[in-house]
Formats: sequence, structure tokens, C-alpha cells
Amino acid sequence: MSAYIIPILFLIVLLLSFIRRKEPYGGFIDGARQAVDLTINVFPYLLAVMVAVEAFRVSGASAYLAQAVAPVLNTVGLPKELAELLLLRPVSGAGSLAILDGIYTDYGADSYIGRCASVIYGSSETIFYISTIYFSQSHVRKLRYAIPVALVATITGCIVGCYLLRFF
Amino acid sequence: MAFIWLIMLSTSLGLMIFTDPAAAVNSMITGAHGAVELSLNLLALYAFWLGFFSLIEKLGLSRGLEKLLRPVISRLFPSCDRETRKYITMNVSANLLGLGNAATPMAISAINRMDNGSKKASTDMIMLTVISATSLQILPTTVIGMRATAGSANPADFLFPSLVATVLSTVIGIIGVKLCAAVFDRKRNGTPDAHAERSPLFPTDRSKPRRKKRARRKGVAS
Repeated sequence: MSAYIIPILFLIVLLLSFIRRKEPYGGFIDGARQAVDLTINVFPYLLAVMVAVEAFRVSGASAYLAQAVAPVLNTVGLPKELAELLLLRPVSGAGSLAILDGIYTDYGADSYIGRCASVIYGSSETIFYISTIYFSQSHVRKLRYAIPVALVATITGCIVGCYLLRFF
Repeated sequence: MAFIWLIMLSTSLGLMIFTDPAAAVNSMITGAHGAVELSLNLLALYAFWLGFFSLIEKLGLSRGLEKLLRPVISRLFPSCDRETRKYITMNVSANLLGLGNAATPMAISAINRMDNGSKKASTDMIMLTVISATSLQILPTTVIGMRATAGSANPADFLFPSLVATVLSTVIGIIGVKLCAAVFDRKRNGTPDAHAERSPLFPTDRSKPRRKKRARRKGVAS
């Protein structure tokens, strides 16, 4: 079912742009060009994070961490291999992207772990980053219950999403 | 993130000095190589999706989405003026389309407009933060692309559970904010919430006399 969503969406948008004379070809090129800047902006962060992540993994620190978090993840029904992703996701987009990439390489994108990771990454945001940047130019320093509420809501969503994965 | 990065790198290096010093440099270089490879993959994904989204934008679909969202936004942000709501609506619709980079400046503008000099976030500010932070993205484009790159048979097959997760988290987030607001700023009715936070009912505020800032900034905010 879900295999149809994106191709159909794509087709509708293409045909609509053609009918309304919005030059679909030129529009696509314009959008694609922005990707170069975006990638260049992200690259240094990605590099810094991936150097640290790889060292973290090779040194065995990552395994200790996963071991420590495993019992908690087991009780909520998430695979223990996702410990790093869960811990880094609220903090850094580039960092969790690097972890997600590693999970796909290690366990395969179609494994349960890979799909769980997809749900977690796809349905969550960099909570701490957003909260910092949104208030960066205001007088507000105390965010009160914003972060706890967002964290609890996101974790609940992820647990339910990963549970649903068993049926889809 | 800077702090976490430092901790991660220094723990790993500390460990490797004792276990396997030769692996230290190798692993870091491997990581750097990985970053180059990943960003090339990302470049392909971003180019593809941004191309697609620019078509959507040119069709004016994002403006249609804004119209659709307007009634919801005014219910969720009762004490904002119209201009602020406009920014919030643009932020939410950009987030829905997965254009996080376009969403952030809108949110900063909205927060700045709601800012009245108080050091504590108002309920509306928290609501905006929580709604963005619980993720609204309908189409997790990056993940779909990365799964395709990793050789998935059907890169979009996690879409339904992911959608449930993101909708559920946003709903829980909204309810959570409303509940916390009801508990923490009880004396709110009718007045902008920033006032309630400085009401005598709120005990943490008594220690610091911060009242004078309120009047001065209010004119700017509303």
C-alpha cells in the first residue's frame, strides 16, 4: 500500500505543474540546486560527529552504553541496538543521521531493527536543538515544561510506532 | 551538542589508549571517510526531494495548506495576535512538508513577537516549541531516501507506523502542554499567559523581582 503513496503524489504534482504551466523541469532544477548549499552546510557537522561516533564504536564505549540502556529498552519493547540512536536523536540531526546510516549498514534497511530506526528517526525531531534555536533571539531563558513534555510525547510515539511495525 | 561531542571523543580516546592505541587514528579517519560518503548520498537525496518540493511550492500548495491550518492554529494559540499566528502557521506548514530549514526562521520570528521581556516561556511559546519538537513531518523524505540507498526492497514501508507515531506524539505533546498550563498557570483566564507566570500563585517567581520588565516590553509584543 505505502509503496504507491509517493509515486502517485509525484505524478499528481508533475501533471498539475504541467497543466498550470509552471515548468516542472525548470522548477525541479531550481530545487535541486539548493541541495548543494544545504549539503555543504551540513558536511562539517557530519564529519565532526562521524569521527566521534566511529571512535566511540571502535573503542567499545558504545557497547557499554548499549548494555547499560538495554534493560530499559527491553521493557518498552525496543531493540537494544537502537540505544545510540535514541540517545542522540533529540540532540543532533547530523549525529543521529550518521547513526541511522550505520544501522542500515550493520543490520540492513529491511530488518526489524532498521525499520524501527526508520520510524524513530522519521517521527521525531532534534528536541534540544529546536528548543535552543527557537529561543535564541528572545529574552526567554527558562523553557519550563517544554522539553519534558516533548520528550515524553516523542518516546511514547516511537514505542507505539515500533510496536505497529510488527503488523505492517 | 558541543559538550556531548567532547565527551564522546574523549571517552573513546581514553579507552583506546589502554586497549588499542593503533585503532584510535584509524577509527577517526574511517569516520571522516564515512562522512564524505554519507554527505554525497545526502546530496543526491536532498537534490531529489528539494526538486520535488520546489514543484509543490510553485503550485502554491503550501499556501493552500496554510489556509487549511488557520482555524487550528487560532485554537491552539489563543493569546497571539494575527501577525504572530501568521508566522506560526507558516512554521507549522513548512514543518509538515519537511522543510525544517524554512520552518526555523518563522518560529524564531513568532517567538520574538511573543517575547515580552520575561525570562520564562509563555504557554503559547511552549506550545509552538513542543509542536515543532514532536515532529510534524508527514513524509520523512530523508529516511525514505537513505533506505533506498541502503538497498531496501520497499523504502517507504514504514510510512504508516511512522505517521501514527508522529501524530500521536504531537497530540500527546499538545495535551501535555494544555495540562501543564492548567496546572501551573491556573489564574490565566482572559489575560495573556505571560501575566499568569508572574502571578503570586506561582511560587518560584517570588524570589526574583522581575515585574518591572513586563509593562515596558508588552507594547512591543502585542
